[in-house]
Amino acid sequence: MRILLVEDTIDVGEAICRRFQLTGHTVDWETDGSAAADILSFTEYDLVILDVMLPGLDGFSILRALRQSKSNVPVLVLTARSEIDDRVGALDLGADDYLVKPFDFRELEARARVLLRRRTGGDATNIIVCGDVSLDRANRSVKVGKREIQLKRREMTLLEILASRPGKVFSKEELLDQLFGFEEAAGPNAIELYIGRLRKKLERAKARIVTLRGVGYQLVADDNA
Amino acid sequence: MTTHRSSLFARIVRRVAIVLMLGAASLITAAWLYARTAADEAYDRLLLGAAFQMSESLTVADGALRFVLPPSAFELLGLAQRDRIFYRVIDPAGSTLTGYADLEPKAPLSQSRNGPVFGNTEYRGAAVRTVTLSRAMTLNDGTGWSYVVVAQTVEARQALASELTTRATFLVAVMSLLALGGTALAVRYSLRPVDVLGDALRQRDPQDLTPMSADVPRELIPFMTSINHFINRLDERVKLLQRYVADSAHQIRTPLTALTAQVSLINEDNLTPDDRRHLERVRNRTAELARFTNQLLNHAMVIHRFDSSQLAAVSLNDVARKAFRTAIPITVDPDMVVSFEAAEDDPVIMGDMLSLREAIANVIDNALRHGASSRLEVRVTRDGGYGRVEVSDDGPGIPAQEWGNVTKRFYSTRSGKGASGLGFAIASEVASVLGGRIGFREKAEGQDFCVFIEVPLAAEERV
Repeated sequence: MRILLVEDTIDVGEAICRRFQLTGHTVDWETDGSAAADILSFTEYDLVILDVMLPGLDGFSILRALRQSKSNVPVLVLTARSEIDDRVGALDLGADDYLVKPFDFRELEARARVLLRRRTGGDATNIIVCGDVSLDRANRSVKVGKREIQLKRREMTLLEILASRPGKVFSKEELLDQLFGFEEAAGPNAIELYIGRLRKKLERAKARIVTLRGVGYQLVADDNA
Repeated sequence: MTTHRSSLFARIVRRVAIVLMLGAASLITAAWLYARTAADEAYDRLLLGAAFQMSESLTVADGALRFVLPPSAFELLGLAQRDRIFYRVIDPAGSTLTGYADLEPKAPLSQSRNGPVFGNTEYRGAAVRTVTLSRAMTLNDGTGWSYVVVAQTVEARQALASELTTRATFLVAVMSLLALGGTALAVRYSLRPVDVLGDALRQRDPQDLTPMSADVPRELIPFMTSINHFINRLDERVKLLQRYVADSAHQIRTPLTALTAQVSLINEDNLTPDDRRHLERVRNRTAELARFTNQLLNHAMVIHRFDSSQLAAVSLNDVARKAFRTAIPITVDPDMVVSFEAAEDDPVIMGDMLSLREAIANVIDNALRHGASSRLEVRVTRDGGYGRVEVSDDGPGIPAQEWGNVTKRFYSTRSGKGASGLGFAIASEVASVLGGRIGFREKAEGQDFCVFIEVPLAAEERV
């Protein structure tokens, strides 16, 4: 994936570049606001990580110009400003997410991943319901009754697979393939771990994940409840 | 107007009333004196007329003094119907010729030789007005003075005097009342600019720090100037503080971010176990520093926003959801069950979105950091006239005796485990500014420990 980083603090920019490069992304790094705005006008990116305080042109102006030109590239704003007199926030200007400096770099990576994924997999718009568990594939949010449960990406995918056909028994291998693909090496224990976590998070739901020893797992709604 | 606070209006009216009362009193006194004089003059003329007639009817016949009482004299005096009349005629020898012998005017009889003498005296238990006339009479034994004394009781005069006084008093009273009423109206009208200035001050938007420009009379200009001077200074202060917080936010956060960035780049593989331990500590301390910095700056922001911004209707579901997203990192421990439950009928409260979000986020952050071991729930509910955001976790909770303390700044329950810092303090300050509070609910069977923020619903929301 191609990422544009606009950040004028060298120490920070360096670390962000390194981290994203380590996970196999291409990062173009700009330190000047107007230069970044120029590049954005003729280059397509999968994600823009944008600092607010920049020499040349500030981040909010870049963002505004970007959205005015109807670009829908995901933008993650990094801000060191206090919101003491901010009348409009980054989100109001069309940012997809923002982090206040100083931030945890793992958090930055995780949020960037969410935005990158939203870009590639924005096709599913349906809501899957099983018992009182409902899974919104567009928002990637899960509700148990009225409670919104926060799920991790893999847990969400796992639930999505199981809930796509309630009652169907999925074998460990099947789940392993769908969850991790072929390139990642993950043992069957990983499935048990995710199933365990998912169960815990669905604890008070009217749907259960049932283990069929030696066969696999299935999602069952409690109809009698 | 409160009783113990003096008002300009009351002061002025009171003083004018005193002046009017003194004036009225002297006017009435003068009127009374004048009325008495006027009544005396009027009745004295009658009295004198009667006395003259009586004196005219003194005749000398055969060398002796003779007196025939003329009826017309009594008719004249009869005009004062209720008054009694006494008379006495004294011959030149000094003995009473006719009438009441004991009728004695105050002044000596001889005084009347130069003209009629009036006087007041008492006769038979009643106040009387006397007149004494003298007349030279030539008798056998030469010329001598004979006198006529006529006395009349004073009832009619008094009646006239008091009637005149009453009328005058009535007029003075009416005039005084008119003057007082007129003064009150005039004062009210003149003090209007003070009220206008007060209203203008009261109706000002607290955020509005521009000078006032009300049209006031000259006497009020010093006040306006002072107020404007003060507004200007406040405005400068607020701007200075705003710039200061914004600058320090940027100036502190940037190197701090650089620091965490560089620390995150250190390759642990080449480090000795000791160095790795040190690095871990540096990492933790950096994170702590970052957190405190954020809290301090947010605290400054919250205080400042309440100084300068006006409250607006805020959906508690929205703000709680935003706080939830801010406070729960994506990288949260995967074994932690985190959930958010919005209220079905969204409680709308009067508040400031950013401050409230900060308050709730701090409570959630605190639960995540110090409380929850595997479960954290955020719930928005409506409770009577209040909207409420509950944050409950399955941790040990905060003991009841600490509840009062944790909302103080930099109070730490367990030293070494990281102070709660400003988190609860921010939450509690925001809640109290909005007329609500932060509360705690003890852990019980089947119920997690819970910290909640309660804020009164917007007026139109209350049923």
